[in-house]
Amino acid sequence: MTSLKTRGFYFKVYSLLPIIFLFISVLNEFDFNYLNLDFFSFNFPFILIFFFTLKEFKHFDYLLVFFAGLINDTVVGLPLGISSLSYVLICIATSYFRNITIRPNPIKDWFYFLFIICLLNSINFSILTLFFSFNLVLMNYLVNTFFTFTFYIIFASLFKFYLKGLND
Amino acid sequence: MASSRDDFIIAIRSAFLKKSTQQKFSLLTLVLISIFIIVLSNLDFRIIRYVKNGINELVYRSSFIVSIPENFIKNTFIEVSDYTTYFREFKDNREELKKLKSKNISSEITQYENKELKELINDYVSSSDKILAKIIVDHDSPFLKSIIINKGSKDNIRIGTNIYDQSYLVGRVIEVNYKTSRVLLLSDLNSNVPVTIAPQNIQAIITGSADNAGQIKYIKDGLVDQFTEKSIVYTSGTGAIFKSGIPIGKVQILDEGESKKFKVKFYSDFSQLKYVFAEVITKKEIQNSNQQAENNNQNPIDAKLKILEDELNIIEKSNQKFKEENENLKEKINDLTNNLINSQNEVIAQKQVIDQFNIDKKELEFLKLNLDYGHKCRKSFLNNKGFIVGTSGYKKCVLNRGKLDD
Repeated sequence: MTSLKTRGFYFKVYSLLPIIFLFISVLNEFDFNYLNLDFFSFNFPFILIFFFTLKEFKHFDYLLVFFAGLINDTVVGLPLGISSLSYVLICIATSYFRNITIRPNPIKDWFYFLFIICLLNSINFSILTLFFSFNLVLMNYLVNTFFTFTFYIIFASLFKFYLKGLND
Repeated sequence: MASSRDDFIIAIRSAFLKKSTQQKFSLLTLVLISIFIIVLSNLDFRIIRYVKNGINELVYRSSFIVSIPENFIKNTFIEVSDYTTYFREFKDNREELKKLKSKNISSEITQYENKELKELINDYVSSSDKILAKIIVDHDSPFLKSIIINKGSKDNIRIGTNIYDQSYLVGRVIEVNYKTSRVLLLSDLNSNVPVTIAPQNIQAIITGSADNAGQIKYIKDGLVDQFTEKSIVYTSGTGAIFKSGIPIGKVQILDEGESKKFKVKFYSDFSQLKYVFAEVITKKEIQNSNQQAENNNQNPIDAKLKILEDELNIIEKSNQKFKEENENLKEKINDLTNNLINSQNEVIAQKQVIDQFNIDKKELEFLKLNLDYGHKCRKSFLNNKGFIVGTSGYKKCVLNRGKLDD
């Protein structure tokens, strides 16, 4: 009985790992600024949310994603609600993509991800410059989009191991 | 055709409205809430401000705790990379410190004069306290360059408070919570600082850029040619956002073929900040003439006397310092004279030893030759031309190896 309970607890923690990682990443904002690499940044929460809302949405609570967005806005210093909107829009995009996909294909996912992050970064850039009069460098957004897109396939293959463990 | 459109609509409806298992809200609700929050956060209602401050406090603290492992790795990396350059930097710093110490007195006098002149120009006296603040969050976002410090409205931090790294300007406060504040760094694109470029005395605006350097903007055509690598950038105080005379950086000239580009290299490295100083300014209005008349202690003569007293104090201090230096130098001269006398005595003693040695050497030489040639020089029955032993002639003969002079 006890072992069953313990096993259930570990399973619960294991299934919540993506959400925990999401919160750690938005609170921490891995920046690698000490490496002195100019024009290097990628959006880890985008990768995480896209992958898990596409593949394992049952353990990925949309409300928590929404809260993660609020935290990200506070940490980065963006107007409250911008990241939440982006994250929820990713959830909508993946939900739509899941509904229309019959045979999942990683390459299709990857390019769909590119389309989504381009769209979201455009929306973010437009809102911040048009409504909030922020001065932003477009090149930063392009570089960020490029690295996020590139790293998606690497992280996706790592996350697949996690999903395998979850299903076993 | 109609069927594919139906499929699209069904998929969209499903994506937006359908609550999946274990999901508490539909995505459409969350989108609407997000938009509602964006609109609300722009409205400056007191309740919203308090709620926002509360969230900020909570999130900044959590972020600080969550960032501990990354900060540890980061600090280790920086320490290791800096270790090799520490000793050289230490030597340079020691030299610089010596020079700065010597300049300190004149700087103190200049500061005093500056303060006096400012009091004459303004109708208030500003006294400032620099409080040390720790950086609790310094995520270098690619889009916004800002840091979070652990001082807020509780410590009299206000929006616009100037933030320093030592004596160099790093930015200003743009958001104040109860115990934390957000500082917009000079390297951010949204930062605009009115500056003076010396020694050319050119007025300009410095804004941030993507590569952590400052851009010189709003400058009159033709003035750019006057810039040199030695040009220093400091705040002009125009607009009363920043205090005047705070050093920011140096002008950097980038040669790009036919054209030249000018940038400002900041004195402070914003990616290496750990602690900063926040300048809390309190303004004291100078009392008007009626009030001054009422208050005998603060009449113009007293004020002037106080200024003179202060000036006198500084002069006395500098005099005292010069006297101490003179005393030290005198002591050093005495020590050196004593050393010289001792050395001279030692030299004389050594000379005596050497002379004695030479005499002994000659004596030894004579004795050696005496053994070989003594019989030739000694006067005897067979040697009639010889000398009596002990005479100068005998000695000379021995030294000449037995040759008898006529």
